[in-house]
Formats: sequence, structure tokens, C-alpha cells
Amino acid sequence: MAALLRPARWLLAAGASRRLPLYLRLFAGGPGRPSSVSRLTAADVRPAAGVLPSQARLYTIVAEKKDLSEEPPSLKRNSSQFDWALMRLDNSVRRTGRITKKLLQRVFESTCRSGSPGGNQALLLLRSCGSLLPELSLTERTEFAHKIWNKLQKLGTIYDVSHYNALLKVYLQNEHKFSPTDFLTKMEEAHIQPNRVTYQRLIAAYCNTGDMEGASKILGFMKTKDLPITEAVFSALVTGHARAGDMENAENILTVMKDAGIEPGPDTYLALLNAYAEKGNIDHVKQILENVEKSDHCLMDRDLLQIIVSFSKAGYPQYVSEILDKVTYERRYIPDAMNLILLLVTKKLEDTAFQILLALPISNEDNENDFGSFFLQHCVTMDTPAEKLIDYCKKLKEAKMHSSSLHFTLHCALLANKADLAKALMKVLKEEGFPIRFHYFWPLLIAHQKRKDVQGIIDILKIMKEMGVDPNQETYVNYVFPCFDDIKSVRAALQENECLPNSNTLYQAEVRSEALNGNLDSILSLLESNISPFPFNSLRGSLILGFRRSMNVDLWSKITELLYKDGRYCQEPPGPTEAVGYFLYNLIDSMSDSEVQAKEEHLRQYFHQLKKMNIKVSENIFRGIRNLLEGYHVPELIKDVKVLVDTEKIDSRKTPQLTSSDLESTLEKLKVGNQPIGDVLKQLILLLCSEENMEKALEVKAKYESDMVIGGYAALIHLCCRHDNAEDALNLKQEFDRLDPSAVLDTAKYVGLVKVLGKHGRLQDAINILKEMKEKDVLIKDATVLSFFHILNGEALRGETETVKQLHEAIVTLGLAKPTTNISFPLVTVHLEKDDLPAALEASIDLYQKYKILPRIHDVLCKLIERGETDLIQKAMDFVSQEQGEMTMLYDLFFAFLQTGNYKEARKIIETPGIRARPTRLQWFCDRCITSNQVETLEKLVELTEKLFECDRDQMYYSLLKLYKVNSDWQRADAAWNKMQEENIIPREKTLRLLAEILKSNNQEVPFDVPELWFEDDRHSLSSSSASTVEADMEKTVLEACRLRKFRDAFTMFLEAQKQNVVFNSETYSTLIRLLLSKDNFTEAMQVKDFAETHIKGFTLNDAANSLLIITQVRRDYLKVALETLKAALDLEHIPSKIAVTRLIQAFALKGDLESIEAIQKMVNGLSIGLSSMVFINNIALAQMKNNNIDVAIENIEHMLTSENRTIEPQYFGLSYLFRKVIEEQMEPAIEKLSIMSERLANHFALYKPVTDLFLQLVDSGRVDDAKALLQRCGAIAEQTSIFLVFFLRNSQKPKKAPVLKTLLELIPELREKEEVYSSSMKSYVLDKDVASAKVLYDHLTAKNVKLNELFLKRYASLLKHAGQPVPFTEPPESFEFYIKQLKEERESPS
Amino acid sequence: MAASAVRRGLTLAPPVAFIRRIPWTAASSELRAHFAQFGHIRKCTVPFDRETGFHKGIGWVQFSSQEELQNALQQENHIIDGVKLQVLAQRPKVLEGDQTSDEE
Repeated sequence: MAALLRPARWLLAAGASRRLPLYLRLFAGGPGRPSSVSRLTAADVRPAAGVLPSQARLYTIVAEKKDLSEEPPSLKRNSSQFDWALMRLDNSVRRTGRITKKLLQRVFESTCRSGSPGGNQALLLLRSCGSLLPELSLTERTEFAHKIWNKLQKLGTIYDVSHYNALLKVYLQNEHKFSPTDFLTKMEEAHIQPNRVTYQRLIAAYCNTGDMEGASKILGFMKTKDLPITEAVFSALVTGHARAGDMENAENILTVMKDAGIEPGPDTYLALLNAYAEKGNIDHVKQILENVEKSDHCLMDRDLLQIIVSFSKAGYPQYVSEILDKVTYERRYIPDAMNLILLLVTKKLEDTAFQILLALPISNEDNENDFGSFFLQHCVTMDTPAEKLIDYCKKLKEAKMHSSSLHFTLHCALLANKADLAKALMKVLKEEGFPIRFHYFWPLLIAHQKRKDVQGIIDILKIMKEMGVDPNQETYVNYVFPCFDDIKSVRAALQENECLPNSNTLYQAEVRSEALNGNLDSILSLLESNISPFPFNSLRGSLILGFRRSMNVDLWSKITELLYKDGRYCQEPPGPTEAVGYFLYNLIDSMSDSEVQAKEEHLRQYFHQLKKMNIKVSENIFRGIRNLLEGYHVPELIKDVKVLVDTEKIDSRKTPQLTSSDLESTLEKLKVGNQPIGDVLKQLILLLCSEENMEKALEVKAKYESDMVIGGYAALIHLCCRHDNAEDALNLKQEFDRLDPSAVLDTAKYVGLVKVLGKHGRLQDAINILKEMKEKDVLIKDATVLSFFHILNGEALRGETETVKQLHEAIVTLGLAKPTTNISFPLVTVHLEKDDLPAALEASIDLYQKYKILPRIHDVLCKLIERGETDLIQKAMDFVSQEQGEMTMLYDLFFAFLQTGNYKEARKIIETPGIRARPTRLQWFCDRCITSNQVETLEKLVELTEKLFECDRDQMYYSLLKLYKVNSDWQRADAAWNKMQEENIIPREKTLRLLAEILKSNNQEVPFDVPELWFEDDRHSLSSSSASTVEADMEKTVLEACRLRKFRDAFTMFLEAQKQNVVFNSETYSTLIRLLLSKDNFTEAMQVKDFAETHIKGFTLNDAANSLLIITQVRRDYLKVALETLKAALDLEHIPSKIAVTRLIQAFALKGDLESIEAIQKMVNGLSIGLSSMVFINNIALAQMKNNNIDVAIENIEHMLTSENRTIEPQYFGLSYLFRKVIEEQMEPAIEKLSIMSERLANHFALYKPVTDLFLQLVDSGRVDDAKALLQRCGAIAEQTSIFLVFFLRNSQKPKKAPVLKTLLELIPELREKEEVYSSSMKSYVLDKDVASAKVLYDHLTAKNVKLNELFLKRYASLLKHAGQPVPFTEPPESFEFYIKQLKEERESPS
Repeated sequence: MAASAVRRGLTLAPPVAFIRRIPWTAASSELRAHFAQFGHIRKCTVPFDRETGFHKGIGWVQFSSQEELQNALQQENHIIDGVKLQVLAQRPKVLEGDQTSDEE
């Protein structure tokens, strides 16, 4: 051994003096502990020391790497990825002393995704594979390191010596057996020069196995390379000698060091301590510890913990406590201690681990948090025996370290699906008096359910039985039944295994399960065969479910009858009538109105069958059901329910009530008897008032005037006001005042007086009342102000200019109401009603000057525009412009033009340069359109504001949808949805919900994922409470930018957040991704997606974003990727939009990629995307034709159309898309063969749809000659009027279609007289401003004496006017929407 | 009947408490048992994840009336199985903009 050391000594003695001192002094000379950076080097070689992590270590890596980093600037993205990864890992180590495998895996995956990971990332990952993973076995850790090494290498990461060294370190920490020479060879092959650290670590590797020969060989290398020998090498040698069994030489190393001028430091002592600990020599350990204490050095907790590990690993746990006594438990070492504890558990030294755990100090501030969970959890993972674990739990609880240790451990056992452990734990819990609940077994059941492992399920049920837990209905339905192919076999299996429950829960579960599947027949037989009685109530929910899922009325009735009549089910009071009645009520209550409407006939039959079965319901229930039916707008069903009412039991109690004549005679009697009559008189007056008998009331009052009290007067006054009797009202009021001048009426009565007096022209009296209200300080509520408005408005409508003016003035000057726009409305209205526009404008302007309000300016403007009063318009505009600014004026004008149907002018206004969105004003107009149901106006508004700067498009569409909802117009709503996509709008959730509601309530499929409210709220509250405000603000900024469609801002903010590692919620990412995609920023969108995927567990794009992603991928021609996106979405049970799938299919078709189309067809089969099967038929055919398989395609189509069991009716078999595409793509042979096919179908099978579609497509694409020829060959085309009508209607909506329609009319002139056709044509001509064609059409129709409707004329007139031509008839005066409505009504009303 | 009135009367926010941090040991029946002290419970849900067999710590309790909900909200501590729950009022659905107007 001396020989081995000699070279070192020589080296140190001779050459090192110049080179080494500074370096070595750092270790040897310093009084305290070295700093972490230098310590790292020392620790590098520390043989077993590497097992323990240092929280500082990761930091050190950063420090090193950051200083060294000379990354090219282009790798900026990598650097942010690195920062993120580092932060995640570092946080974890700081908090828990470890990195979990999951975390490392995630960081690894995300690093891989970032493209080519930089060297620093690789280093970071490699370094994490050692002792920072205490929960993994040593071999697993090394495997992980190798996995990372190989994968990153493949990704192009370039390794340098630091990586090799890191790998070596991991090997050391993981006690990985390897050949150092092989390692060196590998490095050589890679042309990497080993450095000092490499050699040191290789020496340590040899030393760890006690291979001193190997170590000396490396030392030799070092010597030849003139490398300095550090304390670390000496420490390794200490370990080496010790492991080789030579303690003497191990001790000797210290002397050698001193000889070489290196003072042994803590690391050397630690090596020695560990060496003795491994030998179980506690005395030596204690002695050395004492010596160290006496010297300047001191050992840290971490070092002491290390000694503990050595003792325990070597099988001397008895000495652990002695070392533990010396531990100071500094808080900063707690993560290290935790790491150690986990490591010990991994090494199956859980008792030692637990000993350390118990010794750890827990601060008081933490006492809410249970301590030790990490230990328990890891014990569960490592399969620590149940008895031990239970013992730990109990002790932790006794030590007051963990209040719910058993429950926590049970949770871990369930999560890890360890049924035996769970069972043992539950047993103890039960013994300790804790309840064992059904849902504890669910995770266990689910595991078996996933594998369809019946025996496993039975085993769990047996455990439940053992635990005395009877499975509840939910347990059976959700967790047991799904494992069986057939519910019927469950009972048998349970019986066989003696798992049948004593109660009838299984029956109820069976019923429920069958109900969920709508199997009413099974329910019936279950109910019939069941022997144990149980209450109907427990079945109600299930039965309702089942009834709603089945349309078999007979079964409905039979089941109801059984329940009604069978003693097994209606034993308990209140008996079958109530129970069944309540059931019926609940059944109807649970249905939506559309459902009830749809099932009206079924329900009717059901009720009548019940009647036949002599089933009755009570009057009360009937009333409830009646109310429901009324609410559902199905009053027709009420009479059918009525037949069920048990007439014998009708409740005929009535509260006796005194009539007015009774009271009157009482009054008379009292009067005669000279008794006080005040009360009875008042009662009589009030009764008469409530009977609205004014005459009689006044009569009574006159008769007993002296006995009248305040209350009676008040009621009478009000009665007179209601009966428009101003005279008596005023008199009574005066009498009332005389009776008690200080008495105050309530507000409504005052208002009533004002109203009646005003109405009867007693203006001054009315004003006096107002004054009194002020004087007596009568309470003015919002409703009172509203009443004032109605009074004023009533006067205005009667044209009482003066009354309006004076009352308004009195109200406002008295301060009874503020001079708001609303209350001042009537001042303008009164003039508008009289059609006195100048006065109306004047009144408005006057109000502005007085109160800064401008009421009804919109209406005034509209009227002025309608009348073409240019001067007055100018005056109004000048005024608005001057007072409220030009922008306001422009909006006023814009709305007025819109309102009056002058869309062209409106467009001009809204396109004024510099105009920007004013959300409140736009919203005002939207709301106005909604309340007055002006569909066209609102549509125009939405259309015209498309390009308006900063216009909140989503909000505009939201308003539009609101209006469609009012009209239940799902078609338009659907069209709006498409337009939104066209405009690439990101709808807010409320918009989507609204749209979904419209579609759903009209029995349409919802083509997107509807955001769920409850969960959404949950998410918001989660994020708002946990996230700091800065993060929330960032997220808000991103969302706001998305809303305003400022994608660059949004993306920049995202990058900012990414830098700070702020993670938003997944919806935000989806929104941002969708915006980016819609703006064609594909790369950025993918970057956001990557980030979200690595930071949010299970992040997936929502349906809308996914759909857009597919569309974008299709647009970019990444078809295979798009297909993958689709597949991934479907795998997650997401439903992409119809349009996305269609686009993808079409793209594949144009590529001739038949396989992919068929793959999609398989994927979406049975999904509710709403794809028509024609999409596949058309595109498969197109793909085949693209592949020159024209005949196959044609044969398929012909077969589908002519086979007996065809799935699509010929009239819906639309091949237009195929025709259009082959024409567009100029696939002449295909066109020809399709033409032949179509003609054959027409001639031989009388199927005219294909040939007509082909004809139309030829016309549409301008191949008129071909179309003409086709028509000549197949004259029947001309008779396919219905197809043409649809074509006209559709195309008249699109611009630039006028020529097509015109050509069509030329080819088939007889169409021209069809109302739909000429209407559509005119619409199209107007749209395309084709005056000449319009004229021809008009002349033709008038020559034929066709009676033209007003809408047609109005359209034509507008076109002519627009072109500056005279209108040869009187233009219909009303607006477009008026005539549209008129036409609609005409059509709807049965003529 | 009240339920349907609530459901159809869109403007009424149902008296629902949103519960967070429910310990895994508790399910809807425990929640129900705890909240029954504040009033009649119409509906109580703690959704379970059918993949794992555990719930996610959140649930909803619907009371018969707002007062009952307020009773529950006013109590400072709600503890089930030794764990303090977080009890919040379910935020009402976002109501559509009020369009009542007395114009014309």
C-alpha cells in the first residue's frame, strides 16, 4: 500500500508545491465549512457520501453552468426551457429533499419536446438521477440516467466531459457496478478528454469496491498527467482501504495527507467514520467524533445522517440512536433527513427510517399539517408489511405527529391498489371505531373493473362483507355491474360466492342499471320476480330515468300498475294514490318542455291506459302536474291527466266569508243599537273596494260619513282613481285632508291621483298633489318614478303638450325624480306623436341645454331620415357634433340609417376613418333590436361592424344569438356560428352556451363542447384563491388580448408568463391557441400547446381549438398530422367539429388518399359529429377517381342508389360536391362517366336527383353548353322543380350568383313564374346590383300579369333607387322586415 | 315543486353551497349528514372520478332556501373527519344583461 501511496506523496512533495497549495488550502485551512461551491468538488469523490443529496447542489449546478454558459443566442428558447426545468426540480428538492420520478419524467419529456435540448439541460437531468431520487431503487435510477443519456444523444445533444462526469457521479451515488476502464475507453471513443474530476470519480468507483489496484492505476494516470491530488482523492482512498478490509491503512491515509501538506477535513473524517460504521465499530466512531469536535472541524447533520445510513446498511441499527443524539436538527437539513428516510425505506430499512422520522423536530407552526405522510406513502409503495405500517401509524398518532395516519395510509394503499394492505388497515380503523364507507372500496373495484376481472370484484365484495359494509346501489351500478357482460349474471355470481346482500339494494341497483339502459321489460320482470317488499320511493329516480329512455307506453303503464296495485311496493302510507301521483309529477317535472312536447302523444296514451287500469291520483297532484304542463306549453295534455283525478276525494272545504250584504246588515244593526260602527264600516268599505263596487262604496260612505276613518278614505280614493273618477277622488282627498291634515296616503295612491287629475285636465290639482308629496316627504321608489313616466307618456300619447310639459317640470323641479332621459322621453314623444318633427327636435335640444340629456334623438333622427328632412338632419347633427363630439354624432346617424333600412348609408358612416367601437352604444342598439325583434336590422349591424376597430365581435354575435333564441331560430343561429368561425372569432363560454341552448331546445345536435358551468366556477375559484394576483393579472391580460384578438400581445404575455413559470388554466391556453391558429400562427400555437401540455396534467385542447387545429393543419397540408390530431381528440372522447372533419376528408379526397378517408370513417363511426354519410360517399368517390378508379367509384354509387336496401333516400343523395370537384379539377373522363351514370339512373331508374345536380353544377361552373346538351338528352331535368327551388333559395343568399341564376332561367324559362324563383332571383339581382336583369324579370312578370308581392316590389324599388332610376310604381312604404313578416304570416296562416 | 320553480325561474340563484377540500374519507352522505344541521338538503353531490374511484375534493349542497344556505355559510368552521372544509356560495349563473327598459 505504501507503494501505491508513494507516487502520490512524491507528486505532492515535489511538483505540487506550485500548483496545489491554493486549491488545497481551501479545503484544509479554512476554519469553518467550505462554501458550497468548493464543497461540491470535495463531495465529488466522497465515496458513500454521494448518497445524500444537498439542496444546495442543484443551485451549484446552476451557478456553474450559468457562469460557463456560452450558449449561442439562437438557443434562447432552450434557455427558457432550461430555466423552467431547473426551477421545477430545484423547488422540489428544496421542499422535500427529493425529486419524484414523475416530476423528473415530465421535465425530461418536456425537454425532449423542446427540440434539441442544450447541454445544460442534459446535465441537469443527468444530475437528478442519483440520490435525489430516494424513492427509486438504485438500479432504477441508473436505468433512468441511461435512458436520458441515450435519448438526448439521439436528439442531438452534444456531450462533453461534464456530462460524463455527471454520469459517473450518478453511478457512484447509485452504487452502480461498472468498469472504469471501459468508461474511459468510451470517453476516448467519443474523443472526450477525461479531466481531474473524471479520474477522482473513477478512483472513488474503484475504492467503493475496495479495488485498490484499480485505484492506483488511475492515480498513475493522474500522476502522468500532472493532475493535483485533492482531499477528495484521499477520502476515497480511506474508503478504499476500509472496504478492502485494511483499517490500518485507512487510518494511515490521514498521516500521508498531513505529510503531503493537506490537513484532513471533514470529508476525510467522514470517510473514516463511515468506514468504522460499516464495521459496526461504535467506539471508534464515537472517538473520532469527539476528536473532530475538539478540532476546528465540525460535522453537519447531513454528515451524521450519513453515518446513520452506514450503520443501518451494515446491519447495526442498534447504534443509530447514539448518532441521532448528536444531530442538531437544523431546519435546513430537514429535507436531507426526509431524503434519507425515504432512502432507508427503499433499502427496506424502514425501522431505522422511522426512528429518524420520530426524532425529527416538528415546529409548532406546522402542527396543522400532519408530518410523516411522505414516509407512510413510501412504505406503502415499497410494500412494507401491513403490521409494521399499522404500528408506525399508531405511533405517529401517539406522538401527535400525524392525526390521521391510518386514514392517510389507507388512502395510499387504495391509490396503489393494494387490497390486502387496505383490508388490514380498514380492520384496524374499524376496531378503533372509525366507520368504513362504501366508497373506500371503489378504487379497488375500479382496478378489477378495468380488467373485467370478475373474481377480483367478488373478492373485494367479500372484503366488504367481512368489514360489515353492505354495498350501496351506487357501488353496484357504477363499480360492480360494468364488470359483468350482463346484469342478470351478477346475482348468480354473487349468490355462488355468498356475497348477496341482505337488503334489497341489489334489486334497486338492478332496476337502476336497467333503467339507465332503458330496458323497461327487464325492470318489469325484476319487479315481478322480486319477493322482498320495498318502498316505491327508493325506485322513483331510477324508474323516471328508465321511462324517459324508453318509448314503450305499454311497459310504462304495466310498471305503473304493478307499483300501484302490488302490496310489495306501496305498503307505506300515504298509499298508492299519493305515491303514484307523486311519481307522475316527478316524471313530468324531470322532463324538459321540448321532451314533453315531443312525447305528448305517448304521455296521452299512458294516462289513458292508467285510467283504464283504474289508477287514480289526488287533486293536489293533478294541480301540480297541470302547472307543469302549462309551463311546458302543453296544456292539451291537462285534460288527459284530469281523467285520473280521484273525484271522490276532492277537497271541498271553503273558508266561510262574509258577504257585503252581511256586513251591511250588521252595520245597520249596530247603528240602530248606537254601538260604534267604525270597524265594521271600514271592513265594508274595503270589501266593496275589493269588489270594485264604486257606486255602492260611495253610497255607504255618504250614508255613514261621520263614522268614516282615514283607512276607509284612502281605499275609496284609490278606488275612484282606478275608476277614472277624478271628481270624487279629489273630493274624497279634500275630506281626507280635513279629517286629518297631517295624514299621508301611500305613494301609489298619490300617483293614482296625479294620474287621474292630469288625465282630466286638472293640471293645477295634479301639481298640487305633487307638491304635497314633496312636502309630506312621500317615499319615492324606482317604481314611483316609473309611474311618473307612464303618466307623462300617457299624456304625451294623447298629445297633451302642455300637461306633459308642466307635470314634467313640476316633478323635476320638486326633485321627485331626476331629469333623466327616460322621464324626459314624453316631452319629445308628444311632438313625434303629432308628427311635428321640428318641435320634437327642438324639445330634444332644449332638454339637452337644460339637463344635458338628449332623449329620443335616435327616433327623431329616424323620422327625419324617413322624411328626407336634410336641413333638420343637418341641424341635429351639428348640434350633437358640437355638444357631444363627432363620434357620438356618427353613431347616432349610423343607428338611424340602420333603423330605417338605409344600410348603404349606414355602411358609409361606420367606415368613416378613425371611428372605433363604442361598446355601450353598440350594446344599446343590439338590445333595442332584441326587444323589438328586429332580426334584419341586428344582422345588418353585426355585418357592418365586422371591420370596426376594436369591436367586440363575440359580444355582437352574442346579441344576435339572443335574438335568435327569442325566435327559436336555430337555423340562423347555426349560420351565425359558421360566420363566427369564418371571422375566426373566439367565442366566450356564455356565447357557446347560448348557442348550445338554442340548438338543444330545437332538438339539434350541438357541434361543440359546451362549457360546464359548475366546473367552470370551481376552476375559477380554485385559480383565484391559489394564484397570486400577479399571475391572475397575467392570465387576465392574455384573455383580454385574446378577446380583442390581439394575438401578438397575447402571445407576448404568454412568453412573459412562461419566463416566470406562471401556469394558467387550460381554457386560457386553449383560447390562446385558437386565436393563434385562427391568425395562422401555427408555430406559436404549437409552442403554447407544448407548454400547456408539460405544465398541466392531462392538458388537452378543447373541441373548438382542436377543430381549428385540424383545419389549420389541413390548410397547411399537414394531412397526416391532422389525422393524428383527429385520432388523439377522438381517443380522448372529444368531438371535433363537423367542419374540421369534413375539411380533412375533403383534403384527403383531393389527394386521392382513400385509406385515410376510410380510416376516418371508422374512427367517427357512431359519433355525433353530425357528418352526413354523403360526405364520405362523395369524397370516397372523389378519391377513387383521383386514383383513376372511376369505374369502381361509379359502380359503388350506382349500387347505393339502386340497391333494394339503400340507406339514403334518393332525394337526399346529393352528389353536388363530387360533381363540382370533378368539374373544378377538370377531370374530364370522370365528368363524362358521371354524366353517363346520371343519365342512366334517370332513364332506367327514374332517379332524377343526380342528373339534375350535375346539370346545376355544370351551369354553376359556367359550362352552359354541356348543361344545355345534358338538358336536351334528359328533358326530365326541367321538371325537377323542387331541386331548382332549393338551388335558387340557397344561391340568392350568396353574392355574384345572379349570372348563374339568370342562365338557369334562360335554360328553363318556365321556372320564372314560380314565386320562390322570381323572389330569389330578384334578391340575387339586388345583391349583385344587376339592374338590367331585374328589369327584364320585372317586365316579364308584369307582362304575364303575375301578382307581385310587396317584398319583391320593395326590393326592386330599392335597386332602382340605388341606381338612380325612376320607380315605375309606388314603392311599398313599409320597411323590408315588415313585408318579410307579412309574407311569413301569410304563409303560416292556413289559407 | 319548488325545485322546478327554481329551475324554471331563471333569475333565481338556487341556494347551492360549493364545497372544497372535502377529505377523501367523506362522500355525499357524510356531506349531507354534516350540512343537514343548517336546513333541508335537496341535493348533495360529490362527483367521483370513474377512472380512479376517488372524488376530487369538491361537491355541492343544494338547500331548500337561501336562509338555510346563509346559515351554512355563516358558520365559520365546517369540519368533516377532522378536515376543515371550504364552503362557498355557488356563484349564480351569469345573468344576461338586464333589458328592462321603459322606453316607449
